[in-house]
Amino acid sequence: MKNRLKVERAIRNITQEDLAREIGVTRQAINSIELGKYVPSTVLSLKLSRYFNKPVNELFSLEETD
Amino acid sequence: MLTKLLLPNRFKKPGWIILIPSVLLGLFIIIFDYDFKFLEAKVFTVYSATLFNNAATWFGLIESNLTNTIVGVLFIIGAVFVAFSKEKAEDEFIAKTRLESLLWATYINYGILLFCFLFFYALEFLFVMILNMFTILVIFIIRFYYVLHRANKSLSYEKQAEG
Repeated sequence: MKNRLKVERAIRNITQEDLAREIGVTRQAINSIELGKYVPSTVLSLKLSRYFNKPVNELFSLEETD
Repeated sequence: MLTKLLLPNRFKKPGWIILIPSVLLGLFIIIFDYDFKFLEAKVFTVYSATLFNNAATWFGLIESNLTNTIVGVLFIIGAVFVAFSKEKAEDEFIAKTRLESLLWATYINYGILLFCFLFFYALEFLFVMILNMFTILVIFIIRFYYVLHRANKSLSYEKQAEG
């Protein structure tokens, strides 16, 4: 799964730490998602979607291997 | 969430304080086959039969040395506190890491046990079994904190990149 979290974060000019605090997860979680090491749960994806005010589909997208 | 099954974070520190000395002491008494003489005591037992004494004891008192008992109990309490108390910040990433580490620990534990089943016999096997009682917690703790440490390390790189 690909994600645009880092890009969206850059657009909003928010650090991993601040985003993590807003969403209520650890910084490690945000970092691991951005690095593609961790696939967030539906709940966390929806929270991110709500925060960035964008559909989940725009934040995350499937890859060939998924 | 799974965190309901965990101990509060305040158990973490006492856990380490109990665990580290009990591991060191445990290694010491295993390597040197040492018993603290002042820990000879009469203890309650559910069942006991010794090689030299044909009369088995059911639910009675026997004479024994408490060194192993105390170190073992301290290890289990310390290790369970360290392994299963909450992190300062809990989230689904930590929960996933924890579950994954438990799976790892179980696999490696039984891998080691399988190896020992095949290649150790008699008294040596008994010795292996004694150590095996502790491996699952030890492997879990190592793997869980290693992954958290790695996640923290990649954070500091990220920080440099941002700065």
